[in-house]
Amino acid sequence: MSKPKAKAESGGDEAELPDGGWGWVLVAALFISTSLVFGLMRSLGIFFVEFVQYFEESAQAISWISSTGLAAQQFFSPLGAALCNAYNARLVVMVGGFLAGFGLILASQATSLVHLYLTMGLISGLGWGLVFTPMVATVMANFTRRRTLALGVAFSSIGLSSFAFNPLFQLLVETYAWRGALLILGGLSLNIIPCGALIRPQQQRPKPKVVSVKTTSCAALLQRVFSYLELSLLLERPYLTYTLGVTLFNVGYFVPYFHLVAHSRQVGFSEYEAAFVMSAAGATDILGRVTSGWFSDLGYFRLIHLMSLWTALAGVFIMLLPVSSLSGSYAALMVISLLYGFCSGALTSLVFAVVPKIVGVQRMMGALGLLQLIESGAGLLGGPLSGLLRDVTGNYTASFVVAGSFLILGTLTMATLPHFFSCTDPPQRCSQNDKDACSHPELHQMNSIPSDTMVQ
Amino acid sequence: MMLVWTVSVMLLSCWRADASTGPKITSEPIVVNNQTSAVLSCNLTDPLPVKGSHWIYNGKVIEDSVSTDSNPYTILRLEKITHTNAGKYECVFQTEPVSKQTIEVKTLPHVAAYKHSEHGNEKDKGVMVCVSHGYPLPTDWNWFKEEEGNHAPIINNTGLKFEIKNTPNKTILTINDLNIQDDIGNYICSGTNEIGSNSDKIYLRVRSRLAALWPFLGIVAEVIVLVTIIFIYERRRKPDEVNDGSAPLKSNSTTNHKDKNVRQRN
Repeated sequence: MSKPKAKAESGGDEAELPDGGWGWVLVAALFISTSLVFGLMRSLGIFFVEFVQYFEESAQAISWISSTGLAAQQFFSPLGAALCNAYNARLVVMVGGFLAGFGLILASQATSLVHLYLTMGLISGLGWGLVFTPMVATVMANFTRRRTLALGVAFSSIGLSSFAFNPLFQLLVETYAWRGALLILGGLSLNIIPCGALIRPQQQRPKPKVVSVKTTSCAALLQRVFSYLELSLLLERPYLTYTLGVTLFNVGYFVPYFHLVAHSRQVGFSEYEAAFVMSAAGATDILGRVTSGWFSDLGYFRLIHLMSLWTALAGVFIMLLPVSSLSGSYAALMVISLLYGFCSGALTSLVFAVVPKIVGVQRMMGALGLLQLIESGAGLLGGPLSGLLRDVTGNYTASFVVAGSFLILGTLTMATLPHFFSCTDPPQRCSQNDKDACSHPELHQMNSIPSDTMVQ
Repeated sequence: MMLVWTVSVMLLSCWRADASTGPKITSEPIVVNNQTSAVLSCNLTDPLPVKGSHWIYNGKVIEDSVSTDSNPYTILRLEKITHTNAGKYECVFQTEPVSKQTIEVKTLPHVAAYKHSEHGNEKDKGVMVCVSHGYPLPTDWNWFKEEEGNHAPIINNTGLKFEIKNTPNKTILTINDLNIQDDIGNYICSGTNEIGSNSDKIYLRVRSRLAALWPFLGIVAEVIVLVTIIFIYERRRKPDEVNDGSAPLKSNSTTNHKDKNVRQRN
């Protein structure tokens, strides 16, 4: 029955699969929570100016606050995923939202820089980690055919919100001073709690077989933790390949965000021209996310192929960025930046959507958590590496070329995934119990219906 | 007679040899004090061969002033003197050895505040900064508070209410333990150099500590209301869907999958 197209779910069962309805409410919830997590993180720069003046510290010491926050969010992602597997996603997201807001509220009372690291960095970061991965996984579980579109729409919130939050935060800081502004931001972050409340409680994932009745022995506990964290994924080649590919993407992906403005200024364009290039790239980024989401779900191509296309293109355009500006033409720089923005937005929608194709919907939660953790290292590496290249060579050409090549390298790594070159999605791994699960993988995993009633 | 003349010539040449290290230049004016425009001129009084001349401002050569003629006289016009072009000007003649003379162009200090409106929280500290550009940099900084038209001087008592930190080009006033009644108002920073003084004004706003509390409580109330609504809505729908526990799916086709015991994951 396998159709040549990617939407391999059989016709008669399509109506049973969750797609839309309450799912769109969850997309709205994800939209709001993502903007309150990443949009907020990206706009914290407004506060840093205030912190530098108030605490009389260097800009580098202050920038560690957001680095700590981001690192904590990514580091605690597997924890969030594991807790969702152990309890339920609704509780985890609500707790995460509370922690995120609580961290910011405490930060408003900070009297030293260390307080800020601990509150805005660690506590809020922990909260953000408990929010993001579970919400993304929940939304993905609620869609099958329109999954990528849902993700694209939800992730467009990052660009839109960082656009809206910058002037908003500036206004808050001027009206209430930074302490009052942080207090209000903490309150705003608490809005993640109702977003989490919208998650309907779902069927518990079957507890792992190895644990029989209540046993408190260390080995049993460890085995449960192992299964909740989905650490078994680390032993699987497809997942590892995919994670490696995404990690390589991350090394190069952020480089233009850090350095494009500086590079434009260095080539000779004015402040406003450079800033406008960034804004234009941001706008096409948002467009790219939604468009790619919509297009991918049409089903003409496999998600993995589309993702490889966008990442390869993004890599090429990053490498072309310095070439275009070497010619001194502002139009060339603008065009390449627009194209780069579109491709980088397009690939973000797909990176998460491909995961269930590789590991299956049931293990998606843990897979996403681990993926976030592993790719965090790449983000930490990419920025300083490109800065180093710039210091050594004197301009940004080398940094951009290296960044683009990392993206292309990641694409090539993806090509080593099993079944990459086939036109249909690979058959899912059979889960532990039912052999019939192999015939309708996603349907089975989501409904967990007794399989004898399955139709081909 | 011949001997006397020879000796006096030798003495004269010796005297000339250990005169000043370079040829004499007369500059006009010697120093420019607080003028709106000026013409700086240098006249090489020693009849030495001149290969060219130029002017230097603050250590950098002024491109337009470079000339290669052998005129022992050079002028530089300053049409408008502001703090941006005040400083040390040097006229340089390309002779053996090179001869140069410095003319100082001095103006009033240009005093500007970083931000003309500052804010701080009650019981917290407020920081106000003024910077200065120009030449010469202020030797003295003073802060005043404007009260009923008078300028009340602020005294530096480090650690208590007021702290003033001064460097030649920047002054920082820190007020500790802000009080809403007393500390709101205009503050004036004044920088003084040998020519005179200049000042700028900063308005300090003190926010009550509780000012941000009301919007915050409003948002928390909104969050609680939303969560309550969501939970109540769900509780009311629960009895309707004893089987599924979820929103109805789009399908209306009765397939043979639907079983009473099935709980859909949505």
